[in-house]
Amino acid sequence: MISLKKDLKSRPKPFLLAEYCKGCGRCIAACPKHCIEYSNEVNPVSGYVPVVIDYSVCNGCGLCLLACPEPYGLMPENRKYEFQLTDPAKQFGPRPTAETEPREIPDQVIPLPETEPLVVKGTYAAAIGALLAGCRHFFGYPITPSTEGAELMAKVLPHLDGVFVQAVSEVATVNHIYGCGGTGLRCMTFTSSPGFSLMLEGISYLIGAEVPGVFVNVMRGGPGLGNIAPEQGDIKLACRGLGHGNTHALVLAPADPQEMLDLTMLAFELSFRYRNPVIVLGDGYLGQVTGRVKLPRYMIQPGLPSWAVYGDREHRRNLICSIHLSEADLEAHNRRLVEKYRLMEENEQRADLYFARDAEILLVASNTPSRMVRGAVKKLRDLGVKAGLFRPITLWPFPIEHLKPLLPGMERLIVVEASNGQLEDELRLALGREEIVPHPPIHHIRHYGGVLPQVSEIVQAVLEEKEVEP
Amino acid sequence: MSVFFATFERHAHGEGLKGHSTHYCPGCGHGVVHKFLAEAIEELDIQDRTVAVSPVGCAVFLYYYFDVGNTQAAHGRAPAVALGHKLANPNAVVISYQGDGDLASIGLAEIIHAAQLGIPISVIFINNANYAMTGGQMAPTTVPGQKTTTTPEGRSRLNGLPLRMAELIAALDGPIYVERVALYDNKRRVRAKKAIKKALQCQVENRGFAFVEVLSECPVQWHMEPVEAEKWVKEVMTRYFPLGVLKDEPGEPWFQLTPPSFQPEKLLEEIGASQEAPPRFSKGFPAHLDPEDIAIKLAGAGGDGAQTAALLITHAAINEGFDATHIPSYGPESRGGTSYADVHICRSEVLSPAVPDPQLLVVFNAPSLHKFGPTVRPGGLILYDSTVIREEPELPSGVQAFGVPFTQIALDLGKKVVKNVVALGAFQAATQIFPEESFLTALRQFLQKDCALIPLNEEAFRWGVKAFRELYGQVHLQPQT
Repeated sequence: MISLKKDLKSRPKPFLLAEYCKGCGRCIAACPKHCIEYSNEVNPVSGYVPVVIDYSVCNGCGLCLLACPEPYGLMPENRKYEFQLTDPAKQFGPRPTAETEPREIPDQVIPLPETEPLVVKGTYAAAIGALLAGCRHFFGYPITPSTEGAELMAKVLPHLDGVFVQAVSEVATVNHIYGCGGTGLRCMTFTSSPGFSLMLEGISYLIGAEVPGVFVNVMRGGPGLGNIAPEQGDIKLACRGLGHGNTHALVLAPADPQEMLDLTMLAFELSFRYRNPVIVLGDGYLGQVTGRVKLPRYMIQPGLPSWAVYGDREHRRNLICSIHLSEADLEAHNRRLVEKYRLMEENEQRADLYFARDAEILLVASNTPSRMVRGAVKKLRDLGVKAGLFRPITLWPFPIEHLKPLLPGMERLIVVEASNGQLEDELRLALGREEIVPHPPIHHIRHYGGVLPQVSEIVQAVLEEKEVEP
Repeated sequence: MSVFFATFERHAHGEGLKGHSTHYCPGCGHGVVHKFLAEAIEELDIQDRTVAVSPVGCAVFLYYYFDVGNTQAAHGRAPAVALGHKLANPNAVVISYQGDGDLASIGLAEIIHAAQLGIPISVIFINNANYAMTGGQMAPTTVPGQKTTTTPEGRSRLNGLPLRMAELIAALDGPIYVERVALYDNKRRVRAKKAIKKALQCQVENRGFAFVEVLSECPVQWHMEPVEAEKWVKEVMTRYFPLGVLKDEPGEPWFQLTPPSFQPEKLLEEIGASQEAPPRFSKGFPAHLDPEDIAIKLAGAGGDGAQTAALLITHAAINEGFDATHIPSYGPESRGGTSYADVHICRSEVLSPAVPDPQLLVVFNAPSLHKFGPTVRPGGLILYDSTVIREEPELPSGVQAFGVPFTQIALDLGKKVVKNVVALGAFQAATQIFPEESFLTALRQFLQKDCALIPLNEEAFRWGVKAFRELYGQVHLQPQT
């Protein structure tokens, strides 16, 4: 734009539209010829006192151009544009980027041959699910009991020309994901409760800026540093507390290594479908448990969404941003987000039923506790008790539509969980919002601190119609 | 064509004057730096592939002005976001534009680690010695004695001393180019413009991380006229923040990434998926132990190998076509401490993977025997390392216990660490859960990347089998249902 050429005659002289001068005077100090000075009057449009240039003295040295802080302030004369004073917004023509309209490059589904089941632990299964879903960028910070997932990624990704970054913290992790996800690529992290807490601010930004990303939180005992044993104490965070603002994200709750794979794959699909982060909420047991895992018969080669800030000509116009300065704009943006949440609630409720259709006593449990409940239901059925399991696979939205038809004739609901009633709160909220009154009485079997409800204890509590409170 | 938008549509919808003027106060250094940055992008012809990361602070609205790919980051996190972009598309030219509260306070961890990582991104750091957007509070760069709204008497010793970021960054091995520049007169501005262009060039040439600190005027929060502010930078700020090149290494181009692979064969190989079914040796579910669900616990100290033995049992069971799970549980120590493993083997599906009351217990030390012995179900079996557990354990009624010198056998084989495989052999002989070959196959699968270890481990397994048979012959278990 500016060149300090030697040839005096070819040097353009400065040119200024008075209304774009804020009158800071930096050009006055910069001019070696003293040919710039303040004018005598306030510009009626800008409210500032602009400078004026004495062209009879100016030799076009260009130093004032270097000093002027305004992009449309002092500029070389040869940059003059055609304009109409009456319509300042149109003065310099339309935005040049209006020409390119980014295309949506769709994902490709690549068939896989049938393979023998793998024998892997839950965190590995989730990592493999991510790889099959087309994730080739991983960012993470070590934290027990989630780290093995990251370690597998560190081992495998370099061989697939992917990227593994051990971030400086969980705070940096979520922001790497914000950048990489904003580029339109599939990326993820593994973390555990204290690390997840640290990521919440960033997750709010992801939701606000509509950036996808998958967070596998292998929950451990809390609060504080707690311990590294399994708990479900982050249900409230994932379902109700994803950072500041009006946030929600789909929360998927696997119950075995197979689902760690399946639901992590699904998480990527949903994350891009809704342009919103997705949380896969596991527990310490689930992260560590080794089991049989069948691979799907396909994998994904991701495309590139049109909204991506990819860093090329086609996507140059795009912006990843959570700022909407005017109240009306931010309200409109929130309305859009809220509508998206409504669509998720309408379309994404998922649940698994085990002997639930004719159950008189319905046990509600997710993650590893749901497996103890499966064991208990089997035993109770053997004893002639009509018990069943209702297992929410989506914790948010709570799969109330799947529960509703089971409720008539139901004697009791018993929530079995490794938290202080966080799953029960989701159930109660869902019943309340659907205005299901009266509903069957809700009892509970709870443990925390890393202790999980055991089969015998659940059977006994059901038979004796007792609640369990540690 | 300019790198600035022809109309600043994102600035209050580009209405009126806002369509072509910045939100910066008169005389602010940001505007000057924006112009230098825009010119550098234009001169290097990189507008299409530039991604600018806007910070939090006065430059939060960088994306109003620059017609490039834009991302707006959380306070202090711009370098982390920038790295996300750069690693996603290495061809992008990524700029992290940050102020002093953002970079030198809340975002210190991100900038230091991004700099040391050394991946080519360009950081433009605006040092105006205060938090300007929030109303002129003290920043890490506020100079001693400087009055701000949070140091109303002037920054005292108790408020700390200014942080010299350029020196800090230059002291790291990662960056290749670090310079501090100023904007207070023509000469400094020419130098600043060059430095900003050079910071981008380092990235365009894939050479490395570049950092330019700009001492920038903040006339409004300093309560000065713009020209006075220039003078203050020159006379006061430069005393604490001397100008100049702090690091400039030639650095060869090095940064490149190959596009990720999506070849299915490659992926399956990497995750160890096989199309070949493992051989089966078992005639059916070991119903002599339990008709449906066999619960096993292995326990010892960390390093005893209880987890590996448990995994091998799990692998063998799944190879035989049954469902099986293994859950490890450890203390916080990597070696020593407690380590126990719960294994379920089920005919169809493991319902609950925990093993509070095992049917089969394998223990490697006395505390484990003491802890878990009493939990074994009537009709169950305990197998223990008689090298380390000398006394016959007290048993619950209906439980049988067998000592086998796991450690001694392993020592005789010359490697103490294979005691868990000796235990596995004894476990096979005691329970007849699956045929020997079934365990040996699992062992070979497990060691396929360390083939050299297979013979020793096979030997250890066979010695375990042999030792049990010699000591106890055939054992008959009476499952209680």
